[in-house]
Amino acid sequence: MSKIVSIHSFRGGTGKSNTTANIAALLAADGARVCVVDTDINSPGIHVLFNLDETEMVHSLNDYLWGKCSIEEAAHDVTGHIGGEIKGQVFLIPSSIKAGEIARILREGYDVGLLNDGFRDVVEKLELDYLLIDTHPGLNEETLLSIAISNALVIILRPDQQDYQGTAVTVDVAKKLDVPKLLMLVNKVPNSLDPEDVRTRVEQTYGATVAAVLPHSDEMMSLASSGIFSIRFPDSAVTKGLRSLVDQLKD
Amino acid sequence: MSELLFQTALKELEERKEDIRPSDVVLFSEPLRSALNFVIRLGRFSLTEFAEKLEFTRDQSKQLADILVARNLFAVSRFSNAEETFYESRLSAMTRPLSRPPSDIWKKID
Repeated sequence: MSKIVSIHSFRGGTGKSNTTANIAALLAADGARVCVVDTDINSPGIHVLFNLDETEMVHSLNDYLWGKCSIEEAAHDVTGHIGGEIKGQVFLIPSSIKAGEIARILREGYDVGLLNDGFRDVVEKLELDYLLIDTHPGLNEETLLSIAISNALVIILRPDQQDYQGTAVTVDVAKKLDVPKLLMLVNKVPNSLDPEDVRTRVEQTYGATVAAVLPHSDEMMSLASSGIFSIRFPDSAVTKGLRSLVDQLKD
Repeated sequence: MSELLFQTALKELEERKEDIRPSDVVLFSEPLRSALNFVIRLGRFSLTEFAEKLEFTRDQSKQLADILVARNLFAVSRFSNAEETFYESRLSAMTRPLSRPPSDIWKKID
């Protein structure tokens, strides 16, 4: 049975896109058919991680929302761009990075529900095992709709007071929407903090399972979104944590 | 008790004059909220499944479903037959104009 997974955070800069790309790669490495949708229409970026150049983007999510193409026509097979040994397949539905198109969609808006109808269509059309929704930060109609149709929600936060406060609202909403599986991911944790203390604090604060506590990584910073971290650094502590997250999503 | 819960659910839906979106579900009381969360996530479901989740009678559940069809959260599926009505949860707004999502989302969370 296909699973729709939303990856969300209350604030920006928590590592949603990197996490989404790595989840996709690790699932596909194990043989799954995965599609990633970049719904951060205001500031698209996950295509960079998959080395999908603007010139290769035949269609984007924007085109689908404007009725110019079907949702599956906006899906690009990026399996060959990932590297490593991938037994499955990864598709990416990117958001347009053309300034004019971003401006147009912000000015004119779009039918948020059409976006979510597209999610269901693409799962069927591409016979996906997983659809990963890379949401934009914060709570609004789009993110609530994504959560409402998701089988699993990964909420990412940093050990930062601003993140802690805002995440409480997101967790509350997720529980009201009865998300079947809610997993927290604490990212960019400095070495000065004990990971188990962080895990305990977050689990007690939100009453939700912490799938992994990922340490701050200079390797990740140096990679600077030029590729998929877990493929480049398969033995890193960060990759170990991401694998744990993926295993819990598979359950 | 069940009759009281049904009347509450009915009133909550009848009071809505605009389309109901999946995110509006957080505003409803139980058992309506959980039942709607469940069927929206399913995508396609039967009246029987909806009634089981609500724990209301079939007629009561049909009454609520009819309002939800009128409010564009449900659509009657082409798979419906004489014995069973199937619905699909609707996420796109056929009756709402193409426009930027409103910024009133915070009212729903308060």
